[in-house]
Amino acid sequence: MAGTWGKMNSIDRSMATIAVIVLFLLPAPLFFVAWVSFSGEQFLRIPPRDYSMRWYIEFLSSPKWMYSLAVSTILGLVVAVVTTATALFAALAAERMRSGTRGMLEFFIMLPLLFPAAAMAIALRAVNDQLDINATFIGVMIAHVVICGPFAYRPISVNLQALDPSTREAAMSLGASPLYALWRVILPQMKPGLITSLWFSFIISFDEVNVTMFLVGINFTTLPVQTYAHLADSGDPIVAAISVFLIVITLLLVILLQRTVGLRMLVNSESRVSEIQQGK
Amino acid sequence: MLWMANPRLLAIPQLGFIGLFLYGFLAIAWSSFFPDGVFSLDIYASFISEKTYQDILLRTIQVSLWTSAFCVLLGYPLAYFLARARNTELMLLILISPWLVSIVVRTFGWMLILGNVGVINKSILALGIVELPVRMMFNTTGVIIGLVHVLLPLMVVCILSVLVKADRALEEAAGSLGATPLQTFVRVIWPISLPGVYNGVLLVFLVAMGAIVTPILLGGFRQTMVGSQVFQEVFMLFNFPRAAAYAVVLLIVSFVMVIPILLHDRHLRRKRSS
Repeated sequence: MAGTWGKMNSIDRSMATIAVIVLFLLPAPLFFVAWVSFSGEQFLRIPPRDYSMRWYIEFLSSPKWMYSLAVSTILGLVVAVVTTATALFAALAAERMRSGTRGMLEFFIMLPLLFPAAAMAIALRAVNDQLDINATFIGVMIAHVVICGPFAYRPISVNLQALDPSTREAAMSLGASPLYALWRVILPQMKPGLITSLWFSFIISFDEVNVTMFLVGINFTTLPVQTYAHLADSGDPIVAAISVFLIVITLLLVILLQRTVGLRMLVNSESRVSEIQQGK
Repeated sequence: MLWMANPRLLAIPQLGFIGLFLYGFLAIAWSSFFPDGVFSLDIYASFISEKTYQDILLRTIQVSLWTSAFCVLLGYPLAYFLARARNTELMLLILISPWLVSIVVRTFGWMLILGNVGVINKSILALGIVELPVRMMFNTTGVIIGLVHVLLPLMVVCILSVLVKADRALEEAAGSLGATPLQTFVRVIWPISLPGVYNGVLLVFLVAMGAIVTPILLGGFRQTMVGSQVFQEVFMLFNFPRAAAYAVVLLIVSFVMVIPILLHDRHLRRKRSS
């Protein structure tokens, strides 16, 4: 596009100008975070007076921080697998429903999108209190599966609808059982949808903080919630070092997705609130 | 196995999780009417009669509306640009990476920029533009800046998903029939992209209404939004029924606010399909 500036019309040019400015500004706060993460001082100051790696060492050698990092990683993986499995099952079920029933099912699946985080947090906290699983792995996992549901269902459902139904029918008419047809014929073609779903769910779960902060306790917490808590009541630069660590992990995951299924999948499978009401 | 006889049963696990969540919501809605064990509408009455509570709700709506507006203003050009760019994957990488970085990290970045000893204040003090630091944090300005940054990529993705599917031939037709670039934009491109804009506004508005961490870190606890107030009710004031009532009011208000958009969107779809 850069070389075509002369051929662009006035609208294109003004749009491009704003776009380029925004594209530069988006990562800007992250650069400042990275800058202070190399501080050698006891307290946050920008610019730092001297530089060191001490906060990275502090983070990586602290059992407290490593524990919550492990919790978040395992949680993300479990949530990704569980959400993707339930979303795949739901999509397979939806395929066999009449359009009215299907609309109802999809309405319920997309429903969590309509709930602002604060409302969701209180409701899920009540669930955890009631089941006596507050501040436990399973309690946070249930919450994350609910939150990730719509984001996992969309790419899988889009992928499933794009498949050619005749391949499965061919397999079944040649004597394959429904399970065999699912395993050997449908699932291999579902790779982009399933990878996007797994990946999206992992990232959402790994980063979630608005709802999760209501569901953790002194002995069980996730990395983002602990980072938030530390940020809210102390002024040392360790949060910057942890932030850089999180930025690097996210970047690696984005590049991983880009290499496997491409980033366009994210754009194409964006959840649509209006479809909830459309019921389609 | 039962599900092979009836594959529709496969929807049960997902519906089970959603059912649990909806049960939780109904339970808190119920509890908000029984603050001390007996039925009472006191909490809801105080939302209507006391200025502090009105302010919190109005501030939340105001901040969310501004956030949505800025996201459209900044996000539309970006989506428009990305839809036409050649190296879309690289641009998407720049757009999506900051989007997926934890909101705690991104909000922290803005604290470093907007704080009283932050990047902006240090620079303008050093340049002699001001004599005292300008307050950019712990007020609604800071919260809006933070939320726009957090939610902008979501808006861009929503608009982009419509624009990439739009038929470029329509624009070319408008141009060859003598429409100016502005006319083409207003009468062809904008109407096509409107469903994407609506979807983006809906998502951004709803997320902004319920945001907790960004309002706490950039807004503080004095001028709270509903999200930060709910946090305060649960963890500092231990008033769970009031937090529950906030959740109910938040859901109703958010939903009422998005109804006009949903209706107009439906109207547009009807018109297009007929």
